[in-house]
Amino acid sequence: MLSTDQRGNILVVQVEEKRIDASKAPIFKDEMTRCIEGGQNQIVLDLSRVDFIDSSGLGALVSCLKRLGPRGSLAVAGATGAVSRLFTLTRMDRVFALHPNVEAAVEQLSA
Amino acid sequence: MAASISLSIDSDLDKVSLVARAVRSLCTDVLGADELDAVELSLVEAINNVIKHGYHGESGKDVQVSVALQPGQVVIEIIDHAPPMPAQVLEKDSEDPFAFDETDLANIPEGGMGLALIHMNMDEVEYHSGEAENRLRMVKRVSPSPT
Repeated sequence: MLSTDQRGNILVVQVEEKRIDASKAPIFKDEMTRCIEGGQNQIVLDLSRVDFIDSSGLGALVSCLKRLGPRGSLAVAGATGAVSRLFTLTRMDRVFALHPNVEAAVEQLSA
Repeated sequence: MAASISLSIDSDLDKVSLVARAVRSLCTDVLGADELDAVELSLVEAINNVIKHGYHGESGKDVQVSVALQPGQVVIEIIDHAPPMPAQVLEKDSEDPFAFDETDLANIPEGGMGLALIHMNMDEVEYHSGEAENRLRMVKRVSPSPT
């Protein structure tokens, strides 16, 4: 469900599913964990194609952040509508750096 | 206008998005975009809870959703035949899962957010357990349009 694009030391991960819900969260977490265990620790997650995330999906994102640890970064790009609203509602917008698009997120992580 | 419809799915997490999308479509004439998001999220969280905790992830069980479109509000009921939710889970005043310290990575929640999200997104939430079934009733009212 993910496609990746390496840009220098930053891995841009695009979610290709429209929904990250309880049925998809375990696959999402497995694929992300594989990236992280492969040595990636600067990750931009592109959610521009995603129109719905539930608390299971959000929990999977938090789990990835914990796996990255304090020296890693997980930035979120392209969250809109219900997805952006969920981050605000759960106060997870204080946990994940939210960017309007991939370019802005990559720029921020490269700085 | 008042109309109601019943939908049902098998207790399979893969099926939840079908009923969520159907209910969202049904409510489009009554609710605005933010309210539709709120209803869809609450419905998904409620059904996930039934499947994961009520039926312990077992498929082949019944989950019914009834939707009533009423003037100024939508009433959604989720009916299941699993063992009832324990009373302490339903305590609305129990911990707010979102009152975490964002600098304390280890304690940022990965679960236990579903019921809190339902309460935050719906105007009324009631749970009834009878002999034969459990019924979660949720109401979303149309917010007055800004003037």
